[in-house]
Amino acid sequence: MEKALIWVHGDCLSPHNPALLAQPSAPALWVWDEALLASYGVTLKRIVFIYECLLELPVHIRRGEVATELLHFAEEHGATHILTTGSPSPRFAEICARLEQRYPVEVLPGPPFLSGGGRYDLKRFARYWARAQHHAFGDSG
Amino acid sequence: MNQDMRRDFASRGELIAYLREQFPEAAQGDEQVPAQRGGRRAAEAALQAVRPHAYGKTRNFLDGAVTRLSAYLRHGVLSLAEVRDHALRQVRQREEAAKLVNELAWRDYWQRVYAEIGDGIWRDREPIKTGHTRYADALPQDIQQGETGLACIDAFSRELRETGYLHNHARMWLAAYIVHWRRVRWQAGARWFLQHLLDGDPASNNLSWQWVASTFSHKPYFFNRENLEKYTAGIYCRGCPLAGHCDFEGRYEEIEARLFPNRPAEPASPPRRR
Repeated sequence: MEKALIWVHGDCLSPHNPALLAQPSAPALWVWDEALLASYGVTLKRIVFIYECLLELPVHIRRGEVATELLHFAEEHGATHILTTGSPSPRFAEICARLEQRYPVEVLPGPPFLSGGGRYDLKRFARYWARAQHHAFGDSG
Repeated sequence: MNQDMRRDFASRGELIAYLREQFPEAAQGDEQVPAQRGGRRAAEAALQAVRPHAYGKTRNFLDGAVTRLSAYLRHGVLSLAEVRDHALRQVRQREEAAKLVNELAWRDYWQRVYAEIGDGIWRDREPIKTGHTRYADALPQDIQQGETGLACIDAFSRELRETGYLHNHARMWLAAYIVHWRRVRWQAGARWFLQHLLDGDPASNNLSWQWVASTFSHKPYFFNRENLEKYTAGIYCRGCPLAGHCDFEGRYEEIEARLFPNRPAEPASPPRRR
Protein backbone atom coordinates (compact mmCIF):
# COMPACT_ATOMS: atom_id res chain seq x y z
CA MET A 1 0.00 0.00 0.00
CA GLU A 2 1.20 3.51 -0.86
CA LYS A 3 2.10 5.55 2.19
CA ALA A 4 3.46 9.05 1.90
CA LEU A 5 5.72 11.03 4.20
CA ILE A 6 5.52 14.81 3.88
CA TRP A 7 8.73 16.79 4.19
CA VAL A 8 7.98 20.37 5.28
CA HIS A 9 10.89 22.80 4.78
CA GLY A 10 11.49 26.51 5.29
CA ASP A 11 10.21 27.73 1.93
CA CYS A 12 6.62 26.58 2.45
CA LEU A 13 5.34 27.03 6.01
CA SER A 14 1.70 27.53 5.08
CA PRO A 15 -1.20 25.26 5.99
CA HIS A 16 -1.98 25.54 2.25
CA ASN A 17 1.36 23.85 1.50
CA PRO A 18 0.45 21.73 -1.59
CA ALA A 19 2.10 18.63 -0.12
CA LEU A 20 0.08 18.87 3.12
CA LEU A 21 -3.11 19.42 1.13
CA ALA A 22 -2.39 16.50 -1.20
CA GLN A 23 -2.03 14.01 1.69
CA PRO A 24 -3.74 15.51 4.75
CA SER A 25 -3.52 12.34 6.83
CA ALA A 26 0.12 11.51 6.03
CA PRO A 27 2.73 12.09 8.74
CA ALA A 28 4.75 15.27 8.17
CA LEU A 29 8.20 16.18 9.41
CA TRP A 30 10.27 19.35 9.84
CA VAL A 31 13.99 19.00 10.60
CA TRP A 32 16.13 21.81 12.00
CA ASP A 33 19.21 21.66 9.80
CA GLU A 34 21.87 21.95 12.48
CA ALA A 35 24.79 22.34 10.09
CA LEU A 36 22.99 25.11 8.23
CA LEU A 37 22.09 26.97 11.43
CA ALA A 38 25.72 26.81 12.53
CA SER A 39 27.20 27.83 9.19
CA TYR A 40 24.91 30.86 8.90
CA GLY A 41 25.15 31.73 12.60
CA VAL A 42 21.38 32.09 12.65
CA THR A 43 20.19 33.97 15.74
CA LEU A 44 17.48 32.94 18.20
CA LYS A 45 14.85 35.35 16.90
CA ARG A 46 14.78 33.68 13.49
CA ILE A 47 14.35 30.28 15.16
CA VAL A 48 11.49 31.60 17.32
CA PHE A 49 9.71 33.00 14.26
CA ILE A 50 9.97 29.74 12.31
CA TYR A 51 8.97 27.67 15.36
CA GLU A 52 5.81 29.74 15.72
CA CYS A 53 5.01 28.98 12.08
CA LEU A 54 5.55 25.26 12.72
CA LEU A 55 3.25 25.23 15.74
CA GLU A 56 0.34 26.05 13.44
CA LEU A 57 1.13 23.14 11.12
CA PRO A 58 0.47 19.41 11.62
CA VAL A 59 4.17 18.49 11.70
CA HIS A 60 6.58 16.59 13.87
CA ILE A 61 9.63 18.69 14.71
CA ARG A 62 13.10 17.21 14.93
CA ARG A 63 16.69 18.35 14.55
CA GLY A 64 19.92 17.03 13.11
CA GLU A 65 21.02 16.07 9.63
CA VAL A 66 17.99 16.59 7.43
CA ALA A 67 18.18 13.64 5.03
CA THR A 68 19.17 11.23 7.82
CA GLU A 69 16.27 12.32 10.02
CA LEU A 70 13.80 12.09 7.14
CA LEU A 71 14.98 8.58 6.29
CA HIS A 72 14.61 7.47 9.93
CA PHE A 73 11.16 8.98 10.11
CA ALA A 74 10.13 7.33 6.84
CA GLU A 75 11.23 3.97 8.22
CA GLU A 76 9.42 4.50 11.54
CA HIS A 77 6.18 5.20 9.67
CA GLY A 78 6.63 2.59 6.97
CA ALA A 79 6.46 5.23 4.25
CA THR A 80 6.76 4.19 0.62
CA HIS A 81 7.53 7.63 -0.82
CA ILE A 82 8.27 11.22 0.16
CA LEU A 83 6.24 14.23 -0.86
CA THR A 84 7.40 17.83 -0.61
CA THR A 85 7.19 21.26 -2.27
CA GLY A 86 9.78 22.84 -4.54
CA SER A 87 12.61 25.18 -3.55
CA PRO A 88 15.35 26.83 -5.62
CA SER A 89 17.93 26.19 -2.87
CA PRO A 90 20.86 23.97 -3.90
CA ARG A 91 20.75 22.39 -0.42
CA PHE A 92 17.19 21.29 -1.12
CA ALA A 93 18.37 19.56 -4.32
CA GLU A 94 21.19 17.81 -2.41
CA ILE A 95 18.81 16.53 0.25
CA CYS A 96 16.35 15.30 -2.37
CA ALA A 97 19.18 13.46 -4.13
CA ARG A 98 20.05 11.66 -0.89
CA LEU A 99 16.43 10.75 -0.19
CA GLU A 100 16.01 9.43 -3.72
CA GLN A 101 18.61 6.76 -3.06
CA ARG A 102 16.04 5.13 -0.77
CA TYR A 103 12.59 6.45 -1.67
CA PRO A 104 10.81 8.01 -4.61
CA VAL A 105 10.51 11.77 -4.01
CA GLU A 106 7.67 13.79 -5.48
CA VAL A 107 8.18 17.57 -5.58
CA LEU A 108 5.00 19.59 -5.95
CA PRO A 109 5.29 23.14 -7.30
CA GLY A 110 4.28 26.04 -5.07
CA PRO A 111 1.58 28.44 -6.29
CA PRO A 112 2.96 30.30 -9.33
CA PHE A 113 3.18 34.10 -9.26
CA LEU A 114 3.16 34.60 -13.02
CA SER A 115 0.36 33.24 -15.15
CA GLY A 116 2.67 32.84 -18.16
CA GLY A 117 5.23 30.05 -18.12
CA GLY A 118 8.34 29.69 -20.21
CA ARG A 119 11.76 31.21 -19.87
CA TYR A 120 12.49 34.75 -18.80
CA ASP A 121 15.59 36.80 -19.54
CA LEU A 122 17.12 37.20 -16.07
CA LYS A 123 20.12 39.38 -16.94
CA ARG A 124 18.43 42.37 -15.29
CA PHE A 125 15.12 42.84 -13.51
CA ALA A 126 14.03 45.30 -16.23
CA ARG A 127 14.31 42.61 -18.90
CA TYR A 128 12.40 40.11 -16.80
CA TRP A 129 9.74 42.70 -15.97
CA ALA A 130 9.29 43.76 -19.60
CA ARG A 131 7.68 40.37 -20.16
CA ALA A 132 6.57 39.44 -16.64
CA GLN A 133 4.36 42.52 -16.20
CA HIS A 134 1.89 41.03 -18.67
CA HIS A 135 1.55 37.94 -16.46
CA ALA A 136 1.96 39.45 -12.97
CA PHE A 137 -1.56 40.73 -12.40
CA GLY A 138 -3.21 37.36 -12.21
CA ASP A 139 -6.50 36.82 -13.95
CA SER A 140 -6.99 40.53 -14.40
CA GLY A 141 -3.69 40.75 -16.35
CA MET B 1 17.74 10.25 18.82
CA ASN B 2 14.55 10.46 16.80
CA GLN B 3 12.86 12.44 19.53
CA ASP B 4 10.26 14.95 18.61
CA MET B 5 10.78 18.47 19.87
CA ARG B 6 8.04 19.98 22.01
CA ARG B 7 4.84 21.45 20.60
CA ASP B 8 2.94 22.21 23.77
CA PHE B 9 3.64 25.61 25.29
CA ALA B 10 1.48 27.52 27.71
CA SER B 11 2.85 30.85 26.53
CA ARG B 12 5.23 32.51 24.12
CA GLY B 13 7.61 33.02 27.02
CA GLU B 14 7.70 29.29 27.66
CA LEU B 15 8.41 28.61 23.98
CA ILE B 16 11.25 31.12 23.98
CA ALA B 17 12.77 29.69 27.15
CA TYR B 18 12.65 26.21 25.60
CA LEU B 19 14.31 27.38 22.37
CA ARG B 20 16.99 29.27 24.27
CA GLU B 21 17.86 26.03 26.01
CA GLN B 22 17.65 23.91 22.83
CA PHE B 23 19.71 26.27 20.67
CA PRO B 24 22.31 27.77 23.01
CA GLU B 25 24.62 28.80 20.14
CA ALA B 26 21.86 30.79 18.48
CA ALA B 27 20.95 32.44 21.77
CA GLN B 28 24.57 33.28 22.60
CA GLY B 29 25.19 36.96 22.13
CA ASP B 30 21.71 37.45 20.78
CA GLU B 31 19.14 37.37 23.53
CA GLN B 32 16.59 39.14 21.36
CA VAL B 33 13.28 37.66 20.37
CA PRO B 34 11.24 38.90 17.44
CA ALA B 35 8.49 41.44 17.94
CA GLN B 36 6.81 39.98 14.87
CA ARG B 37 5.05 36.68 15.42
CA GLY B 38 5.39 33.72 13.14
CA GLY B 39 2.49 31.66 11.83
CA ARG B 40 -0.37 31.82 9.42
CA ARG B 41 -2.75 33.65 11.78
CA ALA B 42 -0.31 36.52 12.26
CA ALA B 43 0.40 36.51 8.52
CA GLU B 44 -3.28 36.84 7.66
CA ALA B 45 -3.68 39.70 10.11
CA ALA B 46 -0.72 41.47 8.48
CA LEU B 47 -2.22 40.83 5.05
CA GLN B 48 -5.52 42.38 6.08
CA ALA B 49 -3.66 45.54 7.08
CA VAL B 50 -2.04 46.01 3.64
CA ARG B 51 -3.00 49.27 1.89
CA PRO B 52 -1.71 48.88 -1.66
CA HIS B 53 -2.29 52.44 -2.82
CA ALA B 54 -0.73 54.03 0.25
CA TYR B 55 2.15 51.54 -0.05
CA GLY B 56 2.86 52.74 -3.58
CA LYS B 57 2.92 56.37 -2.50
CA THR B 58 4.83 56.14 0.79
CA ARG B 59 6.90 52.95 0.83
CA ASN B 60 10.25 54.77 0.62
CA PHE B 61 9.58 56.65 3.85
CA LEU B 62 10.58 54.97 7.09
CA ASP B 63 7.12 55.66 8.48
CA GLY B 64 5.41 54.78 5.18
CA ALA B 65 2.66 52.20 4.69
CA VAL B 66 5.01 49.24 4.23
CA THR B 67 3.45 45.79 4.46
CA ARG B 68 5.76 43.94 6.89
CA LEU B 69 4.91 40.76 4.95
CA SER B 70 8.47 39.90 3.96
CA ALA B 71 9.13 37.27 6.65
CA TYR B 72 5.86 35.50 5.81
CA LEU B 73 6.67 35.59 2.09
CA ARG B 74 10.21 34.35 2.65
CA HIS B 75 8.97 31.26 4.47
CA GLY B 76 6.01 30.65 2.20
CA VAL B 77 3.48 31.32 4.98
CA LEU B 78 1.92 33.56 2.36
CA SER B 79 2.48 33.14 -1.36
CA LEU B 80 3.26 35.99 -3.74
CA ALA B 81 0.12 35.12 -5.67
CA GLU B 82 -2.20 35.39 -2.68
CA VAL B 83 -0.72 38.73 -1.61
CA ARG B 84 -1.10 39.99 -5.19
CA ASP B 85 -4.69 38.75 -5.43
CA HIS B 86 -5.55 40.30 -2.08
CA ALA B 87 -4.00 43.62 -3.10
CA LEU B 88 -5.93 43.71 -6.37
CA ARG B 89 -9.18 43.18 -4.48
CA GLN B 90 -8.40 46.20 -2.30
CA VAL B 91 -8.13 48.72 -5.14
CA ARG B 92 -10.55 50.24 -7.62
CA GLN B 93 -8.02 50.42 -10.40
CA ARG B 94 -5.20 48.01 -11.05
CA GLU B 95 -2.67 50.88 -11.21
CA GLU B 96 -3.22 51.56 -7.51
CA ALA B 97 -1.65 48.20 -6.70
CA ALA B 98 0.96 48.37 -9.46
CA LYS B 99 3.91 49.30 -7.22
CA LEU B 100 3.16 46.53 -4.75
CA VAL B 101 2.85 43.97 -7.54
CA ASN B 102 6.14 45.23 -8.98
CA GLU B 103 7.86 44.73 -5.62
CA LEU B 104 6.40 41.23 -5.29
CA ALA B 105 7.85 40.57 -8.74
CA TRP B 106 11.32 41.44 -7.43
CA ARG B 107 11.09 38.47 -5.09
CA ASP B 108 9.90 36.22 -7.90
CA TYR B 109 12.84 37.49 -9.97
CA TRP B 110 15.44 36.78 -7.25
CA GLN B 111 14.04 33.27 -6.79
CA ARG B 112 14.33 32.59 -10.52
CA VAL B 113 17.92 33.80 -10.55
CA TYR B 114 18.62 31.56 -7.53
CA ALA B 115 17.16 28.55 -9.33
CA GLU B 116 19.52 29.28 -12.20
CA ILE B 117 22.79 30.05 -10.40
CA GLY B 118 22.43 28.33 -7.01
CA ASP B 119 25.42 29.01 -4.76
CA GLY B 120 26.60 31.51 -7.38
CA ILE B 121 24.58 34.06 -5.39
CA TRP B 122 27.65 34.23 -3.09
CA ARG B 123 29.97 35.22 -5.93
CA ASP B 124 30.13 38.49 -7.88
CA ARG B 125 27.69 38.21 -10.78
CA GLU B 126 29.69 40.80 -12.71
CA PRO B 127 32.88 42.83 -12.13
CA ILE B 128 32.41 45.56 -9.54
CA LYS B 129 32.01 49.02 -11.11
CA THR B 130 33.37 51.22 -8.35
CA GLY B 131 36.95 51.55 -9.62
CA HIS B 132 38.19 49.84 -6.42
CA THR B 133 39.60 46.35 -6.21
CA ARG B 134 40.48 45.98 -2.51
CA TYR B 135 37.72 45.33 0.01
CA ALA B 136 38.00 44.14 3.61
CA ASP B 137 36.78 40.60 4.32
CA ALA B 138 35.37 41.18 7.78
CA LEU B 139 32.57 43.43 8.98
CA PRO B 140 34.07 46.00 11.39
CA GLN B 141 33.04 45.67 15.03
CA ASP B 142 31.84 49.25 15.33
CA ILE B 143 29.19 48.58 12.68
CA GLN B 144 28.11 45.29 14.26
CA GLN B 145 27.89 46.91 17.69
CA GLY B 146 26.27 50.12 16.47
CA GLU B 147 29.17 52.29 17.61
CA THR B 148 30.21 54.20 14.49
CA GLY B 149 29.01 57.51 15.92
CA LEU B 150 26.66 58.02 12.96
CA ALA B 151 23.21 58.16 14.56
CA CYS B 152 21.41 56.68 11.53
CA ILE B 153 23.81 53.79 10.93
CA ASP B 154 23.99 52.91 14.63
CA ALA B 155 20.20 52.93 14.89
CA PHE B 156 19.87 50.64 11.85
CA SER B 157 22.46 48.26 13.31
CA ARG B 158 20.60 48.13 16.60
CA GLU B 159 17.21 47.67 14.98
CA LEU B 160 18.49 44.83 12.82
CA ARG B 161 19.90 42.98 15.84
CA GLU B 162 17.04 43.71 18.20
CA THR B 163 14.02 43.20 15.96
CA GLY B 164 15.18 41.13 12.98
CA TYR B 165 13.63 43.69 10.66
CA LEU B 166 14.78 46.75 8.74
CA HIS B 167 12.86 48.95 6.35
CA ASN B 168 14.05 48.38 2.78
CA HIS B 169 15.44 51.90 2.44
CA ALA B 170 17.41 51.50 5.69
CA ARG B 171 18.82 48.22 4.35
CA MET B 172 20.03 50.05 1.25
CA TRP B 173 21.63 52.89 3.21
CA LEU B 174 23.32 50.47 5.62
CA ALA B 175 24.54 48.25 2.79
CA ALA B 176 25.88 51.23 0.82
CA TYR B 177 27.66 52.52 3.93
CA ILE B 178 29.30 49.13 4.53
CA VAL B 179 30.38 48.48 0.94
CA HIS B 180 31.17 51.98 -0.36
CA TRP B 181 32.10 54.13 2.64
CA ARG B 182 33.85 51.40 4.66
CA ARG B 183 34.89 49.35 1.65
CA VAL B 184 33.94 45.95 3.05
CA ARG B 185 33.12 43.00 0.80
CA TRP B 186 29.38 42.76 0.28
CA GLN B 187 29.43 39.12 1.37
CA ALA B 188 30.35 40.14 4.93
CA GLY B 189 27.33 42.41 5.16
CA ALA B 190 25.06 39.88 3.48
CA ARG B 191 26.07 37.22 6.02
CA TRP B 192 25.35 39.59 8.90
CA PHE B 193 21.88 40.37 7.56
CA LEU B 194 21.07 36.66 7.15
CA GLN B 195 21.94 36.00 10.78
CA HIS B 196 19.36 38.48 11.96
CA LEU B 197 16.63 39.21 9.41
CA LEU B 198 13.43 37.24 9.97
CA ASP B 199 12.92 37.48 6.21
CA GLY B 200 16.56 36.52 5.52
CA ASP B 201 16.49 34.77 2.17
CA PRO B 202 19.86 33.98 0.59
CA ALA B 203 18.70 34.98 -2.91
CA SER B 204 16.80 38.21 -2.17
CA ASN B 205 19.40 39.27 0.37
CA ASN B 206 22.61 38.52 -1.50
CA LEU B 207 21.42 39.69 -4.88
CA SER B 208 20.20 42.96 -3.34
CA TRP B 209 23.63 43.42 -1.75
CA GLN B 210 25.14 42.80 -5.18
CA TRP B 211 22.77 45.41 -6.62
CA VAL B 212 24.07 47.97 -4.10
CA ALA B 213 27.70 46.92 -4.64
CA SER B 214 27.36 47.13 -8.46
CA THR B 215 28.18 43.47 -9.14
CA PHE B 216 24.58 42.98 -10.28
CA SER B 217 23.76 46.46 -11.59
CA HIS B 218 25.22 49.09 -13.88
CA LYS B 219 26.55 51.31 -11.12
CA PRO B 220 26.98 51.43 -7.35
CA TYR B 221 24.05 52.60 -5.23
CA PHE B 222 24.87 55.39 -2.79
CA PHE B 223 23.02 58.23 -1.10
CA ASN B 224 23.55 61.55 0.62
CA ARG B 225 22.37 63.01 3.90
CA GLU B 226 19.66 65.05 2.24
CA ASN B 227 18.11 61.86 0.84
CA LEU B 228 18.30 60.06 4.18
CA GLU B 229 16.96 63.06 6.07
CA LYS B 230 14.00 63.40 3.70
CA TYR B 231 12.87 59.79 3.99
CA THR B 232 13.43 59.55 7.75
CA ALA B 233 11.78 62.88 8.63
CA GLY B 234 15.15 63.91 10.04
CA ILE B 235 14.84 61.75 13.16
CA TYR B 236 18.46 60.61 13.04
CA CYS B 237 20.14 63.79 11.81
CA ARG B 238 18.50 65.97 14.48
CA GLY B 239 20.20 64.23 17.39
CA CYS B 240 23.38 63.18 15.59
CA PRO B 241 26.66 64.42 17.03
CA LEU B 242 28.05 64.49 13.48
CA ALA B 243 25.18 66.52 12.02
CA GLY B 244 26.43 68.98 9.46
CA HIS B 245 29.78 67.27 8.97
CA CYS B 246 29.05 63.56 8.57
CA ASP B 247 30.28 61.21 5.83
CA PHE B 248 27.07 61.65 3.89
CA GLU B 249 27.17 65.42 3.44
CA GLY B 250 27.26 66.90 -0.03
CA ARG B 251 25.71 66.74 -3.45
CA TYR B 252 25.62 63.40 -5.29
CA GLU B 253 28.38 64.48 -7.66
CA GLU B 254 30.66 65.40 -4.75
CA ILE B 255 30.05 62.14 -2.91
CA GLU B 256 30.52 60.14 -6.07
CA ALA B 257 33.87 61.85 -6.68
CA ARG B 258 34.93 61.13 -3.08
CA LEU B 259 33.83 57.50 -3.04
CA PHE B 260 34.75 56.45 -6.56
CA PRO B 261 37.59 58.64 -7.82
CA ASN B 262 38.75 55.95 -10.23
CA ARG B 263 35.37 55.06 -11.63
CA PRO B 264 34.96 55.72 -15.34
CA ALA B 265 32.80 58.85 -15.79
CA GLU B 266 29.29 58.67 -17.14
CA PRO B 267 26.50 61.19 -17.45
CA ALA B 268 25.47 62.34 -13.97
CA SER B 269 22.07 61.22 -12.77
CA PRO B 270 20.80 60.64 -9.25
CA PRO B 271 20.86 56.97 -8.27
CA ARG B 272 17.56 55.26 -8.77
CA ARG B 273 15.71 53.50 -6.01
CA ARG B 274 15.31 49.85 -6.56
